[in-house]
Amino acid sequence: MLEVTTDWYLTLAAMLFAIGFMGMMIRKNALIMFMCIELMLNAVNLTFISASKHFGQIDGQVFVFFVLVVAAAEVVVGLAIIVSIFRKQSSASVDVLNVSRG
Amino acid sequence: MCLEDKLEFIFLLPIFLPLLTSIFLFLNKKLFNELVTNFFTLNGALLSFAIASYSFVALALNKFKAVNIELFQWISNPDISIGFTLDGLSGIMLVLVTGLSFVIQLFSTSYMEQDENHSNYFVYFNFFVFSMLLLVMSSNFLVMFFGWELVGLSSYLLISFWSKKPEAAKAGNKAFVINRVGDFGFLIGLMIILDTYNTFDFYEILHNSTGVSESTITAISLFLLLGAFGKSAQFPLFSWLPDAMEGPTPASALIHAATMVTAGVFMLVRISPILQHSKLASLLIIIFGLITALLAAFSAINQYDIKKVLAYSTISQLGFMFIAIGSGAYVAAIFHLVTHAFFKALLFLGAGAVIHSMHHEQDIRKMGQLRKRMPTTAAMMGIGTLAISGIPPLAGFWSKDEILASVFANGGIYYIFWALTLGAAFLTAFYMGRHWLLIFEKDNGFDHSDVIEAPKAMTRPLLLLGIFSVFIGFINTPFFHGLEKVLHVTLQNVEVTHLPEGITLVVLAVLSIGAGFTGLIIAFLLFGIELHKRIDLQKFKLEYPINLIKDLSLNVLYLNKFGNLFFISGMKNLSRKVAVVVDGMLIDGSVNFVSTAFNKTSKITSTTQTGMVRNYVVYFGLFLLLLIALFIATPLVPR
Amino acid sequence: MVEALLFFAPASLIIIGALIVIFARNPVHNAMGLVMTLVSLAIIYITLNATFVAMVQMLVYAGAVMTLFLFVIMMIGVDKKEQSTDSIKGQTFLVSGVFLILISLLAYVAVSSDFTWDLWFPPVEYDVEGTPQLIAGVLFTDWILPFEIISILLIVATAAAIALAYDIKKRSSNA
Repeated sequence: MLEVTTDWYLTLAAMLFAIGFMGMMIRKNALIMFMCIELMLNAVNLTFISASKHFGQIDGQVFVFFVLVVAAAEVVVGLAIIVSIFRKQSSASVDVLNVSRG
Repeated sequence: MCLEDKLEFIFLLPIFLPLLTSIFLFLNKKLFNELVTNFFTLNGALLSFAIASYSFVALALNKFKAVNIELFQWISNPDISIGFTLDGLSGIMLVLVTGLSFVIQLFSTSYMEQDENHSNYFVYFNFFVFSMLLLVMSSNFLVMFFGWELVGLSSYLLISFWSKKPEAAKAGNKAFVINRVGDFGFLIGLMIILDTYNTFDFYEILHNSTGVSESTITAISLFLLLGAFGKSAQFPLFSWLPDAMEGPTPASALIHAATMVTAGVFMLVRISPILQHSKLASLLIIIFGLITALLAAFSAINQYDIKKVLAYSTISQLGFMFIAIGSGAYVAAIFHLVTHAFFKALLFLGAGAVIHSMHHEQDIRKMGQLRKRMPTTAAMMGIGTLAISGIPPLAGFWSKDEILASVFANGGIYYIFWALTLGAAFLTAFYMGRHWLLIFEKDNGFDHSDVIEAPKAMTRPLLLLGIFSVFIGFINTPFFHGLEKVLHVTLQNVEVTHLPEGITLVVLAVLSIGAGFTGLIIAFLLFGIELHKRIDLQKFKLEYPINLIKDLSLNVLYLNKFGNLFFISGMKNLSRKVAVVVDGMLIDGSVNFVSTAFNKTSKITSTTQTGMVRNYVVYFGLFLLLLIALFIATPLVPR
Repeated sequence: MVEALLFFAPASLIIIGALIVIFARNPVHNAMGLVMTLVSLAIIYITLNATFVAMVQMLVYAGAVMTLFLFVIMMIGVDKKEQSTDSIKGQTFLVSGVFLILISLLAYVAVSSDFTWDLWFPPVEYDVEGTPQLIAGVLFTDWILPFEIISILLIVATAAAIALAYDIKKRSSNA
């Protein structure tokens, strides 16, 4: 009989985060990159909630709430940026955008 | 009732009235025509002179006890405040400056008539008078330094008044730059004073200073002396004064003859209580004074510009004043300052009248036989010439004789100095005689039938100054020591050289009169009746030495050329080399190296800044992993 | 047994969904992968006694945020194929470098800790049920200041989104 301890949840969160980060690195589409960011945020949320259970504290869940709100705000602004970029160059690829090159 | 209370503030009026006039005229430049400008400036000057005279009389009734006013304290430690003082010395200068200012402004109203910058001239003029009064009335070195610098500034403005003439602009620059050399010394002297005494106040420094080593006093005196050399045009900083003659003639009369150039003499007399302790400084003063007196007198004998002769004469007479200071005869120095101010102002204004009548011709070779055309000017210039030559009983005799006697009274090596001074006095009489004869007597083959006497506004100041040039000498004679009484409080701790008594004094006086007469007679023989043309010079083979003397005199012993060659060109070469080697290679090189090094490294590092978001993500991930590795290697919480 | 199943089934779905997100070529497929991940996460949250957060996850993430994503995908089109080769020089090399470091780090940690995860603190014996009452009780007392700040952030974000998406040129030409 396998008991599911906090380790498992943390491992799952780490895997999720790593996958999200790999996605950030290999995809060119700004939209997909945003989704990867969501993945990473959710990995963090998972960590918070498993910690909340592990320590028997409610604050972790409250913090997930905050992260959710920030993520929502970030998605709204980010998607608006993507839309305006798309209007300019009719492509959502971030590789064309290198105005901040040194 | 105490006279001091009355005097407290009234003597500040003549100082600030010229400033007010200057500002007032400046603000209403567009509004006033010449007549209104003249009205305000003349009345301002007259009022200023009247109050100055009143202050002086009140001071005399109060037995010349010094009156100090501290307007406000600027810094408490070290004690630096803005204050003024009225004592015998500054009182004399106050009356002298305001009085001459009025007379010369009266002359200027006619001389500067219909000049396009008429009102500007009076703005500068009044500003100069204010600066000069600030200098002489100060009760501490700081205010004196303000006046000192402002005098330099306003002198610059007046020299290059006709700035459209390139020579005038150049002369103004030259005067300013050479004065800066002297001011630099003055400034260093002030710093040493502040370091030594912790105050700038004259009274504290001059009368309450004990336990200051002689070397410090010598250092202070020498640096202040450098300032005096610059301002009073002493060797080697004298070459700006002849060039300064490019300014308007009345301005030259006030600034470059009567007042500003005497600032150095005034300052040295002011610091005489500490100056007397430094034997070295005194010796240097008399040596440089002698060199200046002889050199300038020698240079004056073959000048052809009517004003340049007077300029060299001024330098020479200032040399006499320095000789007096060097030999400890401070009263004689001030005495000569006063008499010289009158007869030199007279000579300059006379020259101005001649220039005016000759339609701005300044070459005395093109003048001649003007005596019949301009009788008043000729007579007054004649008085000035006799006065400066030291003919009794005119003003110059008394002061010059006192200087000569004081030098003689020191004894020792001073006998040689006395002989040389006598030679300078002889040369003075000679070149002044030549000057007068060439202008008014000699026939130079030019037709001057159209020349008329200068207008009354010019001749009246001449008459006034002529009267003073005759009688001003009587304020301090061997029989009546008026000036000594005026100065005795100021110089109370100073050992003033006393004149020899009895028969020695008479012999010295006769010798000095003899020198003056001989100079005049030789001048008359050469330029009046032209003796050298009647006798055959060929058999004396004198042509070469005479031409040599003429050439050397005209070119001031080639000192200017030497100075140009040695200082200017040498400095230019040196600075060019410094510019190339030190500045170009060392400083610019290091700066450029730093900038190119930054440029190159930043070009290399900036290639990492691709502007690609995904590259940045990779960097981020890389360093995140490194951070995690660091955490693994060094656990935050020990097990 | 049920407990293990309730963990491993959503966990594998989460991983599969995440892999779809980063590997699928069609943006719609990516979005669906993300939805799968988020919903599975909500299930995990329920097993972790965080019922309120699980509901919010369903509503806000799987519902609202994903709808927004889909809207944008529809807006900018799904027909454009992404280049399969990487256009940035050296990116592939760098990514594999990062991946290698990650793997080696993990391997090192796993081997050095003998495949056990020491959390230093044992889990608590009791359960805390993440009910709305409990969360609200903490949120509106201890966390009131962050809560207010978050509300300001939301307003700013909304305004920013409108300002960014508002096409001034098109509007003014129409008017």
